[in-house]
Amino acid sequence: MEHKSFEVMTGNKACAWGVKLSRVQVASIYPVTPQTTIGEYIAEFIANGELKCELVNAEGELATQAIVKAASRVGARTFVCTSGPGQLYMHHPMHGTSSGRLPVVMATVHRGNKGMQPDHTDLMSQLWTGWIQWYCENNQEVLDSVIMAYRTAEDKRVRLPIAIGYDGYILSYTSEPVEIPDQASVDEFLPPYEPIPNILPDKWAEAQRGRGAGMMEGFMSGGGDPQAAWRIHHEAILNSKEVIKEVNEEFGKRFGRKYGNGLVEEYRTDDAEAVVVAMGTIASTARVAIDRMRSEGKPVGLVKLKTFVPFPTEDFQELGKRVRAIGMIDRNVCLGLGGAGFGELRRALYDLDERPKVLGFYAGLAGAEVRVRDIEKMAEKTLKAARGEKVDPIVEWAKLGGGG
Amino acid sequence: MSERITIKQVPLEELVITPGSACQGCGAALAARLAFKALGPNTIRHSIPACPDNVTRTPTSGGEFEAGGDHVTGTWRALKALGREDVQVVGFYGDGGVYDIGFQSISGAAIRNENVFIICKNNEAYMNTGGQVSGATPQFAMTTTTPVGPMSRGKPHSRKNTPMIFAMHGVPYVATASVAFPTDLIAKVQYGKGIRGFKFLDILSPCPTGWRFDPSKTIEVARLAVQTGFWPLYEIIDGRKFRLNYKPRELKPVAEYLKLQGRFRHLSEQEIEEIQRSVTEYWERLLKLDEIGEILI
Repeated sequence: MEHKSFEVMTGNKACAWGVKLSRVQVASIYPVTPQTTIGEYIAEFIANGELKCELVNAEGELATQAIVKAASRVGARTFVCTSGPGQLYMHHPMHGTSSGRLPVVMATVHRGNKGMQPDHTDLMSQLWTGWIQWYCENNQEVLDSVIMAYRTAEDKRVRLPIAIGYDGYILSYTSEPVEIPDQASVDEFLPPYEPIPNILPDKWAEAQRGRGAGMMEGFMSGGGDPQAAWRIHHEAILNSKEVIKEVNEEFGKRFGRKYGNGLVEEYRTDDAEAVVVAMGTIASTARVAIDRMRSEGKPVGLVKLKTFVPFPTEDFQELGKRVRAIGMIDRNVCLGLGGAGFGELRRALYDLDERPKVLGFYAGLAGAEVRVRDIEKMAEKTLKAARGEKVDPIVEWAKLGGGG
Repeated sequence: MSERITIKQVPLEELVITPGSACQGCGAALAARLAFKALGPNTIRHSIPACPDNVTRTPTSGGEFEAGGDHVTGTWRALKALGREDVQVVGFYGDGGVYDIGFQSISGAAIRNENVFIICKNNEAYMNTGGQVSGATPQFAMTTTTPVGPMSRGKPHSRKNTPMIFAMHGVPYVATASVAFPTDLIAKVQYGKGIRGFKFLDILSPCPTGWRFDPSKTIEVARLAVQTGFWPLYEIIDGRKFRLNYKPRELKPVAEYLKLQGRFRHLSEQEIEEIQRSVTEYWERLLKLDEIGEILI
């Protein structure tokens, strides 16, 4: 029985621990609230000789992303982190990282695009950049996800960057007990990273000479099909689902914790007539709401949506056959279009012969507090819809924090 | 400081793949040929949008226009982490990528003293997109976005003194070069290659298409830029030690340089005089620096 090590730590420290245990070789940082202390913890680990890593204090987030992209191409394991406006600023090189099929891992400590408070609009704004996106519920999941992300991203069947989102302040600056996996087990779980192609001058294949490595996967692999760069990239993300599940299973076997099937985690959905879907820290609150309602005999459940990209279409289709209504809680809004989760969920369920009703709730945007009773109300409404009662409107801005 | 070499000492190895995408008489293609002879094959070249898209036999890492300094930073740090510090890390960028959109990133790499070599193939405008004005375009030059007309005399402002700005970062090596002075150019690349830290070489690379001169006259134009003092050749060590590499007894009149180029065709005698005054005044300042061998700030 190996010794278990626990520490009470903030989400940002848990993230830095994930970086340390993953033996990241190049990290690039820039201050922006609420992710700043990740970089400080990494700098401390390095200063104390606990981590051997090239840390670049860059001149902005566009720089941090471009730096880890180049370093990943050469063959270093790389880490970058950001929040809100910084996330928006690094949009351009994020495309380059993913088009280059480089396994960069990034922490996005959520800060919405309107103000300082957390919501998922920062990372949701990057949906078109071709990154895998995970959303975490607690500090333990943050640490574990960093390790799982390297294993997944560097898998030769995947070779895509992964963004790990977790709610700013609620996790970044809040301390929770976190189990720290032991280094030897992480080393076994996470083999060293090998770049494809290797661009070191003595490893650079004759056939590739004269071509930019960045161009290789992005533009030149399509055999004359101009759409190939998009198609191959899209399919690679869709095909990563099996690896994400596999890595989650293996992590569970080795470390005794896993997160649903890696894509979604169902909670008390057995015999549920209605479920709510939540992402990030709202999922934690939702568990309590579901427990309360179950104790009152109400057949409701929760699906925690961890992997937003690629969207777990198959899991929701399977769920859609079992339940009568699903309430999607979106901590985001794509202005003029709607909640990203709501749209994707409806898209996933449309092809079912018998579809459950899909309701939408905007909750927790700009840091609005979402309480247990708020989620109970959403689940009540979803249950009503499941039982054939008319609900209006289908999509609503949840009234949060009221009495009752 | 760089050591003089003769043309016989120029490495024979060609690392540039020809034919490239360059126009006839392209100064920047020649800059690539000369610079990579000196850099040698154990080099990773970084490219950003630039004209021409020089193709070398070295591995190449492409990236965003605005992040040239970051691409080389990431590569260098990874090489360091992997124990491969023998590899030369080179950013071979145009003046748009160095003077303008990528300036912040290269300033960042400079102030961190990353072990990288930024080589600017400076053709004084955005030639890749058809000749728009850049921070490197000289005053009065006609470009597609500073046209000449009743209300416009070409570019209204002077160019950014980028080599001096990088020198003021206190980096180990900053130099200017010209494709018309190949041994000077190669000696500078060879010298920079041996230094650990940030190196910057700004190579004036005439563009027949954008500057509007006959492609057979590239070397003549490039040489006159230096001989008139319009593009002085110098090098600066650690932001302090200064040396002029080309010091004629007397500078040729700047008009000889300007009159070869269509981009200056519209200049009045008065405007040419204005340019001459500014070139002479700057040259005299450089002579003083050369005399004391140091930049005293």
